[in-house]
Amino acid sequence: MKSDRLIVLATVLLAAIYWFATEQIKEPLIGDPIGPKAIPRLLIIGLLIAAALLWLETMAGAMASNKAVPSETSKQEGPAGAKGYIFIAAMILSTLGYFSVFNWLGYALATALYLYALMAIFNPGKTRANVLTAIGFSFGSYLAFTRLFGAQMPAGLLPF
Amino acid sequence: METFNHIINGFGVALMPINLWYTFVGVLIGTIVGILPGIGPSASIALLIPVTYGMDPASGLIMMAGVYYGTKYGGSTTAILIRTPGEAASVMTSIDGYEMARNGRAGAALAISAIGSFIAGTLGVVALTLFAVPLASTALKFGPAEYFTLMLFALTAVASLSGKSPAKGLLSTILGLMIATIGIDLQSGQQRFTAGIAEFQDGIGFIVVVVGMFALAEVFRGLEKIHTGTSDPAMRITGKLWITKEEWRRSKGPIWRGSILGFLIGILPGAGGTIASLLSYSTEKRLSQNPEEFGKGAIEGVAGPEAANNSDTAGAMVPLLTLGVPGGGATAVMMGAFIMHGIQPGPLLFQNRPDLVWGLIDSMYIGNVMLLILNLPLIGLFVRLLYIPSGILYPLIIAISVLGTFAVNGSMVELYLVLFFGVLGYIFDKVEIPIPPLVLSLVLAGILEQSFRQALTLSDGNPAVFVSSGISATLVFLSAVSLALPFLIPRLKLVKPEQD
Repeated sequence: MKSDRLIVLATVLLAAIYWFATEQIKEPLIGDPIGPKAIPRLLIIGLLIAAALLWLETMAGAMASNKAVPSETSKQEGPAGAKGYIFIAAMILSTLGYFSVFNWLGYALATALYLYALMAIFNPGKTRANVLTAIGFSFGSYLAFTRLFGAQMPAGLLPF
Repeated sequence: METFNHIINGFGVALMPINLWYTFVGVLIGTIVGILPGIGPSASIALLIPVTYGMDPASGLIMMAGVYYGTKYGGSTTAILIRTPGEAASVMTSIDGYEMARNGRAGAALAISAIGSFIAGTLGVVALTLFAVPLASTALKFGPAEYFTLMLFALTAVASLSGKSPAKGLLSTILGLMIATIGIDLQSGQQRFTAGIAEFQDGIGFIVVVVGMFALAEVFRGLEKIHTGTSDPAMRITGKLWITKEEWRRSKGPIWRGSILGFLIGILPGAGGTIASLLSYSTEKRLSQNPEEFGKGAIEGVAGPEAANNSDTAGAMVPLLTLGVPGGGATAVMMGAFIMHGIQPGPLLFQNRPDLVWGLIDSMYIGNVMLLILNLPLIGLFVRLLYIPSGILYPLIIAISVLGTFAVNGSMVELYLVLFFGVLGYIFDKVEIPIPPLVLSLVLAGILEQSFRQALTLSDGNPAVFVSSGISATLVFLSAVSLALPFLIPRLKLVKPEQD
């Protein structure tokens, strides 16, 4: 599979970066004979072994699939994958947007807006239920956590 | 005699009104979570950890354990009524359970599932009660080398058995260990991989990783499903919510066999409830005089797997409580919860906190009775949960994840990390990298590194210390076998026909 080859490449790249970062760790002069670099160095070896095994699995899979007839699912992989990338990108951006106004608007307001936006997309046509749930949960959980549990949640624009 | 006294005192703890209440809350949440497709026990326990911070550790852990075994009961309801396992281990129940529902026997399928779960769950706890002390006493003889090799074995077994690819399981394990190396090294005091970010000095929070990788990633997958529109319609509960004498006669054997099989598989690291129910299903099919009925609504195909996946939970608690080594994703999150409450599971727990450990075990007897009541006469109420629109439910889970994470430390960095791990979990699912090995290694990393360094320090840096005792040498051998077998078995199968 193409994605498996990308994982192998990413793993090797990660091993290189992790090795570089491991070498930056300062060794204490006394008190610790094994040192803080020992486990990270073993993990680099582990990463490379995992990459090598995955490469072998990919090669074995490629040899087997050369003999097999392409399946329905493999034909559908392209468009479904592209749709998935767009979906996850939209989710990341909307959640980042939510976090960026989290302190300014406050937990309750920011959460109510974020929840309503998601519900409007994924539960369309039920505006009343969506608004009530978004506001009810956000303000209810804000009051419960700040008043009952004493948690410090940002009030933002709210006076309470 | 001393153990017997501890068990009795444990009932004293479990029967305290506050703990009865938290047992009830735990099993209720577990049933609800089990019924709702998509949200598993790991995600729900992870989301509950922040809520339990202010609680007495015994009460908090009793509640989270209730969620863990409660999900197994609830998972079968969804499997029977909409052919979608509420949690992974109910996958085998969905085959014959859904067919029984289609044949107008949904009530009988739900009843045998609840009865089988109750019997197996209770038998599992009895076995846990009997096995816990001898195993914990043996574990007290372990030194750092034995502990390191034991954890190595748990990690390699879980890496090999999780998912389709052992290489990806290994990769997931190593990534978990790498995440755990971020922060100040407690032995040397040196910073490792903090990139100058002050919040990273204490390491990446366990909650952040599990909430992101289990809860948020599951929500992303669920919302994507809504986006593409793929789900089965829910069946109505039809027929009496009880079984006939003939159905009980056919179910007795599978329940007993499933209970024993599930418990034994639960003890093994990496195997888990899904394998237990799969093995129980294939055993019952092989033993049945009418194997052709399997897949068309055979009650044995519901009774056996349900019993197996419920006694598996008690089996999984054995290594967690006695050795401090969880064998899968949900027990790894449970161990994280123990640590968050300042309690280290393991043999010393039975000496230092017998009230807590026996209170927890004894609460499981009570919880199973509560679950039987919740899942038989009250099942009609819970089924209504299936009609909550996922488009409302999933956004609420994101909000709960944010609330739970932020309420602990008030850190925005942790919120961004939750999102990062949520996306990582979603990608892992897409490219079929299993998540449980990562969470397990993250939980075990601290003790693993500590044992490794202690063992080497005691032996003046001689690595032969890891094979110097019989126990550690056996565990090293088993680790090597568990890593090598998944690669060797397919090759042996490929070579055999050519030799023929």
